[in-house]
Amino acid sequence: MRPRIIAGYTAVLLTTASLAACGAGAGGAGTAAGGAKTVNAVLENQPFTRALTPYIPEFEKQTGITVNVQTYSEQQSRQKILVTLQSHSPAMDVFMSLPSLEGKEYAKAGYYQPLDSYVSNPKLTPASYQFSGFSKPLLDSERIGGHLIGIPINVEGPVIFYRTDLFRQYGISVPRTLSQLLADAKIIKAKSGGKIYPIAGRGLDSALPYTFGPFFHNEGLQWLSSSGQPNFDKPGAVQAISTYATLVGKYGPPGVVNNSFTQSSALFAQGKAAMELDSTNEISSITAPGSSQVLGKIGVFNIPAGPGGSHPTVLNWGLSMSRYAAHKKEAWEFIKWATSPQMQLKLALKGIASPRIAVSKNPKYQATLNTPLRKQWQQVLNVIIATGNPQVGPPAVNEPEVRKVIGDAVDQVMLGEESAAKAAAQIQQGLRPLVGTGGGA
Amino acid sequence: MSAQAAVHDMSSAQTVLAPRAGTAERGRAGPGKGRWDRNKWRRNKGALPLLAPAIVLTAALIIFPIAYAIVLSVTNWQPSGTLGSFAGLSHYAHMLAHDPLFWDSLRITLILYICCLVAQTLLGLALGYLLSLDVPGRSIFQALILVPSIIASVAVGLMWLLIYDPTIGVADWITGGLGLGRPAWLGDPHTVVWAFVLLDTWEWTPFMALIFAAGIRSLPREPLEAARTDGAGPWQTAWRVGLPLLRPIIVIAVLLRSVDLIRFFDTIYVMTQGGPVNSSTTLNIYGYRIGFTDLNMSYAATLQIALLILVIVIAGGITWLRRRSQVE
Repeated sequence: MRPRIIAGYTAVLLTTASLAACGAGAGGAGTAAGGAKTVNAVLENQPFTRALTPYIPEFEKQTGITVNVQTYSEQQSRQKILVTLQSHSPAMDVFMSLPSLEGKEYAKAGYYQPLDSYVSNPKLTPASYQFSGFSKPLLDSERIGGHLIGIPINVEGPVIFYRTDLFRQYGISVPRTLSQLLADAKIIKAKSGGKIYPIAGRGLDSALPYTFGPFFHNEGLQWLSSSGQPNFDKPGAVQAISTYATLVGKYGPPGVVNNSFTQSSALFAQGKAAMELDSTNEISSITAPGSSQVLGKIGVFNIPAGPGGSHPTVLNWGLSMSRYAAHKKEAWEFIKWATSPQMQLKLALKGIASPRIAVSKNPKYQATLNTPLRKQWQQVLNVIIATGNPQVGPPAVNEPEVRKVIGDAVDQVMLGEESAAKAAAQIQQGLRPLVGTGGGA
Repeated sequence: MSAQAAVHDMSSAQTVLAPRAGTAERGRAGPGKGRWDRNKWRRNKGALPLLAPAIVLTAALIIFPIAYAIVLSVTNWQPSGTLGSFAGLSHYAHMLAHDPLFWDSLRITLILYICCLVAQTLLGLALGYLLSLDVPGRSIFQALILVPSIIASVAVGLMWLLIYDPTIGVADWITGGLGLGRPAWLGDPHTVVWAFVLLDTWEWTPFMALIFAAGIRSLPREPLEAARTDGAGPWQTAWRVGLPLLRPIIVIAVLLRSVDLIRFFDTIYVMTQGGPVNSSTTLNIYGYRIGFTDLNMSYAATLQIALLILVIVIAGGITWLRRRSQVE
């Protein structure tokens, strides 16, 4: 009995081991069959990825490198990337990263492969790549702790899309100040009889700071004081919270505290909102043929100035290389190709705002600015690139928590549960341990 | 003897004379039960190799993760993957004494648990009774009402997002039509929990009803008929005879739903991510956020250990009640 059992278990173990070995050989470390060179990328499903994907076969043909792309929605891609990095897995070579959100956290954990040595090596990066052609503030946002942690792939910033026909109908003009913006919203609410929401904006706690930032900065405030403390104890902070909560809460759709860009763009494209406060990126959603009911009736302007001037927020995504990548050379080839001047122009022609300055001046690209909306859009984007603040929230290692602290407090004002003054005090108290010495953990 | 007394006696007699299989045996277990029996071990040791795969799987899938979570909760885990310094019970102390969100999430978890369980048990009993009746087309209806429970929870969440949508949702259209106003179901901290109670009750009541229907159909007919012969009305028969006989089935169904309800996660994650302002943040949502958004795995493990203890206490309590009622 016993020898039979032992023999049986040995057979099972050997079979399992050989199957595992076969599995590792077939897909292990991401090597394609036949020993071809491979790069594994995890990308978020957003306009950049959708525009880039059709060109990947060209890259594969040019380089002989097989590209395996996994695309997920924002939350899922973030989770997939994080788990892969946490497990030090070599299965992912390239990933999309938002330096303003997870940059410090990932850099502290050592997840990014620094790209400085790749960029500075002429054998790996020829002069034709024109590394200096990237917008400097965007490139700076990809430098953390003195290391280059990614290459910018796009540029965006919060703006206000508006319905030109409704503005004409209600006799209002593009606001120059935040006070005028509130006054316009009030007029729309009154004159539309409540049938049109004056504005659709972000209320979801984690998403809110992106569009709230300019309201704060336009009061003449930076996120942090010169001593590194939060600036929410200043009177301007209370005013910024009050303005934002009134605009988005009082003049926004019901249930706005759960809304992000998806809901806002859907409302605007369906003709239910007169304005949309969101990213320049959303132009593709609200002008999508077939789903947009407001085509030809859209204009766009920068968030109006406040007492402290006009200070838009600028944000960019980047392509980063995992420190644990199994195919670093191939990964750099892929990043270099996706961010090259030629590919950036191709992507710009598909509506992806390029972080390369020369692309926006290219005659081919200029020829695409053939509608009033596209011309205005490029103008507001130029302002964002030139003067934008790259800090979406007070910089900290635990940036997601920082944004939640701000979002929750502003939401409470929108819900009428707290005053703006109490919310500001709550944020000040909540942010102190997060942004203090080195950003906490 | 009144009809009511007769019914009472009948139910007691049935419980005493016809105990469920295994209950009386367990009740009569003599001294030494559960103790180490060397002879028994010698007789059965040949079974060990056959049990080995199950033991290895249990260790790998249950014991190791729990042990690792405990280790994480007493260390300061670093995002680089190292466990960091020993933290002792400081995470537990912080959770209990300095984290109001832990208590809020515990409160929300318990509110959801109690409300959903009560609603689903009561409605499930009523629906289960209807399903147990022999009417034409019963099997078709039985298959149809199970649809909510077999749809993936993420799909259910996305569907109810549209139902609760304040601008195009049917929920507001109904409440508006009834003159009850148009609440921002998911956008108001005062209504969001009730919105999830409604959703979960819609999703899982059919599951409870099916269990109850099967239980009702398997009940012995004699006590019920005897009660009716003695003059008990339908309600008395159901309340005094049917329900006590059905109690073991009810306890099992409640146990199954309890374990699932305590770790309420998927629909909330899809629909509100715990908002607005943490008003739908359950312990599971909170633990997920701390672990996967804030990258604080040690504190997330501490919260999950608290959740595990809660599940064990509730499941243990229900099991204890079941055994006690069976012994009686």
